[in-house]
Amino acid sequence: MTATTTTASPDLARSLARNQGLLVAFTTLAAVFVLLQANLADGFSYYDVSSTFASTATLAIAAIGATIVVISRGLDLSVGSVISLTNCLIAVNMDDSPGSMVLWALLGIGAGALVGLFNGIFVALLRLPSIIVTLASMFIVEGITLMILDQPGGMVPAGFSSFFLSDAIANVLPMPAVLVAVVLFGWFALKATPFGTSLYAIGSSEEAALARGVRVDTTRLGAYVIAGALYGVAGMFLTAQTGSGDPTVGPPMLLPVFVAVVLGGTPFTGGRGGCLGAVFGALTLMLIVNLLLVFNVPTFYATVVEGCLLILAVLAGSRQRITEAAAGFRLRLRRRAHSAGPRLRRQYADLPLPRADDTLPASAVRRWMKRNRATLRSSLPAYVSLLVVLVATLTLFEGRLSGASYFNSLFVLTAFLAVLALGQGSVVIGGGLDLSVPAMITFAGVMLGEWTIGGLGGFAPIAVVVVAAAIGALSGFGIGVIGMHPLIMTLAVNGILEGVTLVATGGTPRGAAPGWISWLMTGKIAGLTPVIAILLIFVLAASLLLARTSFARRLYAVGSNPVMAYFSGVSVARTQIAAYALSAACAALVGIMLTGFSGQAFIDMGTPYLLPSIAVVVIGGTAMTGGRGTFLGMFGGALLMTALSMALQGVLVPIAVRNVIFGAVILGAVIGLRET
Amino acid sequence: MGAGSIRSLVAGAALLAPLGVGAASAADGEPYKIFLSMSYVGNDWQAEAQNMVSAMARAHPDTVDLQIQVAGPVAQKQIQQINAMVQAGAKAIIVYPISPTALNPAIKNACNKGVVVFAYDSSVTEPCAYNVVTDQVALATQSAEWVAEQMGHKGNLIFMTGVPGTSVDTDRNAAARKVFARYPDIKIVAEPNGMWSQAVARKALTEVLATTNWDSIDGVWGATACVQSWSLQVEAGDKDLVPCGAEGTNGMRVMMLPEGSIEGASGTYAPMGAPGISLESHPGAGAVALKLALDVLAGKTVAKTTLMPLEAVTSSTAKLCKEGTFDELKAGCNTFDPALVPSGWFANIANPDTPEIGFQAALVGQPE
Repeated sequence: MTATTTTASPDLARSLARNQGLLVAFTTLAAVFVLLQANLADGFSYYDVSSTFASTATLAIAAIGATIVVISRGLDLSVGSVISLTNCLIAVNMDDSPGSMVLWALLGIGAGALVGLFNGIFVALLRLPSIIVTLASMFIVEGITLMILDQPGGMVPAGFSSFFLSDAIANVLPMPAVLVAVVLFGWFALKATPFGTSLYAIGSSEEAALARGVRVDTTRLGAYVIAGALYGVAGMFLTAQTGSGDPTVGPPMLLPVFVAVVLGGTPFTGGRGGCLGAVFGALTLMLIVNLLLVFNVPTFYATVVEGCLLILAVLAGSRQRITEAAAGFRLRLRRRAHSAGPRLRRQYADLPLPRADDTLPASAVRRWMKRNRATLRSSLPAYVSLLVVLVATLTLFEGRLSGASYFNSLFVLTAFLAVLALGQGSVVIGGGLDLSVPAMITFAGVMLGEWTIGGLGGFAPIAVVVVAAAIGALSGFGIGVIGMHPLIMTLAVNGILEGVTLVATGGTPRGAAPGWISWLMTGKIAGLTPVIAILLIFVLAASLLLARTSFARRLYAVGSNPVMAYFSGVSVARTQIAAYALSAACAALVGIMLTGFSGQAFIDMGTPYLLPSIAVVVIGGTAMTGGRGTFLGMFGGALLMTALSMALQGVLVPIAVRNVIFGAVILGAVIGLRET
Repeated sequence: MGAGSIRSLVAGAALLAPLGVGAASAADGEPYKIFLSMSYVGNDWQAEAQNMVSAMARAHPDTVDLQIQVAGPVAQKQIQQINAMVQAGAKAIIVYPISPTALNPAIKNACNKGVVVFAYDSSVTEPCAYNVVTDQVALATQSAEWVAEQMGHKGNLIFMTGVPGTSVDTDRNAAARKVFARYPDIKIVAEPNGMWSQAVARKALTEVLATTNWDSIDGVWGATACVQSWSLQVEAGDKDLVPCGAEGTNGMRVMMLPEGSIEGASGTYAPMGAPGISLESHPGAGAVALKLALDVLAGKTVAKTTLMPLEAVTSSTAKLCKEGTFDELKAGCNTFDPALVPSGWFANIANPDTPEIGFQAALVGQPE
């Protein structure tokens, strides 16, 4: 290894270093392929290659689109819903004539571009956080798709399918591979244009790009439009491949698309990476299916194996980081022996809070407002929108609604999101993201039942939270110390936990929540559910935790700028470990609460909470880029999401319309979050 | 607690058992290589369905070499999986389809290579495949009709829906709406979305009941609607439980038993004489599909569509099982002791056509 680096020209070495992500992506794919080839009786035939490309093309093309947005330092959650939109649009409308085929293929791609334009306008021109804009458009597009086709159906002409699924060169080159290659060629051409340069520039540093005269807004807008069009291409291919429309086929692709992007060596921090790696990533994901079959991995272990493979693949890419971490650890051990470290740390912890500004106005109220202007600015939109939704609900259901029972339900249901918000919020403020929330909720709920009857009795809830926190700390270790990407690490932990839960229960969870937990969640004291009192204490404690403690100061420092935090004497790794442990403990708490609320743990009960846990954090004014956010804001977000959901559940309109309204209100709520 | 630990032991053995099935094959020629492609495993219904298929395979060790794989919720992965199964030399593929249409080309390709393909629970539209399904229209019509009658054909109804965009949800809702539309005095006052998940149903019903109250509700219809509705009513102190249809959980059936008929049951997972009709997609469809696939492989003619038995259990026919053996189930028991299975466990496992399948098959994959 050393020999090659020294003999190779500096240009090659630099190019290798720059394309390290791509190399890792390719090596991972090659490793999976070799492993498969070695264990398949007949080896990989042309048929296998051809069918694998057909299965992968949709994911690969969508991942190329998502990569472009990620390079611009954005995140596009609308990808899955756009795939379904195009799919249904084409399946419903296309008829046998060649003209119709071309027209509807183009219209399908155009619909994707239009959604991209919608996202781009809100993200680039109105400067709203991309994650929440695309979350809103995801709901709106899902609603519109259901209006176009409310159940699987529709059919596309056989000619359309066979064109995209045939061989470009018989027994040598399948058409889906050609399509992916054409899209990739388009990407490389784009990358070579000034737009390509601008794209990487705005992703690396928007300020620097602006200073160099890059048109930041149009570049970002362009990125979303191109991405949307590519999701459209993916949806069009999917339609050809499956020959029909299905409104539920796209949304589950969201997470696989992001995994393909990260496996492809594109970091979510923007400004780096490329689309070729995403194709390798998509192929790797698809070949894992074959790998599971060849090794006959039992169903309950499938997600465990997938999770471990993800971690392995990414670990291979952070070899350097592991060496560094090990060296740092040795250094720390040596320092500890000289006992210099702890003293320094203690000094840091004793640092006083920033002094009050002397120029504050005299009036107490105005002084408070000025001092908390940032907090107010970020949390006010959620509360204003909440007020609007509340007024609308009270007018809409006037006569049949009793105030006491309405607000009781509102606070009980908000409790879940509020607790999740503290955990997810802390992780986001620290610059990360926790995708292991759903499996952690289920794991906690299921284990509560198992351990209560399994001998732990009254200690089961505590044991569950402690074990969860330990698992969270492990994720934090992988992220903070080894340098794994938060998205990959927590997604892998999510998969492993899913499997562990299934194996531990045999698919059928036993036992119920202890009586006192059920009472807390469903009982009544003077018409009020007891958990509401605890919620108030929790909100107070969580606000203080995120505002007044040294943990919070370190967290915000790490989230704003980890390098600066490190040089200020903050242990970045330790802070991240604490944040992920807190997030896991909060998720576990929600699992326990949900079990008490529903009377029993269900093996799918955490699934609906992933996106809401992120949404409340962002609606509450927390920046996805880290370093900013308050718990009061997030609590406002939790109240708003719950109130909105309650209002929509009560009105008699089809789900499709409800989805559109939900998306629109979320978007309206965050318009107030405009960054200026 | 003793029964519990025995159960986990059996469950542990069940995990190892697929190896045994493969090994016990050599008796009479080669057993058929059969694959089960599941879309996901993360809920009670799927777990039971998988157990029953395993039990069916164990009941025919000489003819079946079963391998079970899960594809996850992405249709493309199931397509890839089916293709890989064909390449791995499958004689038959049993599939729980993630989409009724998206898998068609992969299924057609399998058929062309001489593989027998069975879809269960949700049907696929590819004509070469065999479907083993529950008649969703009949299920919805029968249960809606029963609820309407119990309501005296008038009053306010909560109409709970499932996963939007799926054929099963669309078919059920349309059929039930048709029934309720026949009675102009029945008014649908809310349509909460329960997503076929008890936890989501609980949340959705709580949301609906925040803007209305139980006094004004005369009936509830929808999958995963009943246990949660009745529990909420009990918690709200309302003793006058509303008529409800239709879910297949043991929780619902236990609640339908006459009050006090099970000793030691506590909380809301206890007999309370609730008025309900229990009907749900049969979790044994996969096991039937496997059995029929063996028939096809043996050269017998099998109908392209097989309907699973649709046996409605109402408050007057709910009956507690002792052991849950096939014979006992055949004699008409249909509900299990709360100490044996959780509330969300599906109790609609009886099927006169599969003597291999009893309670132990659904719980741990052990054939009769």
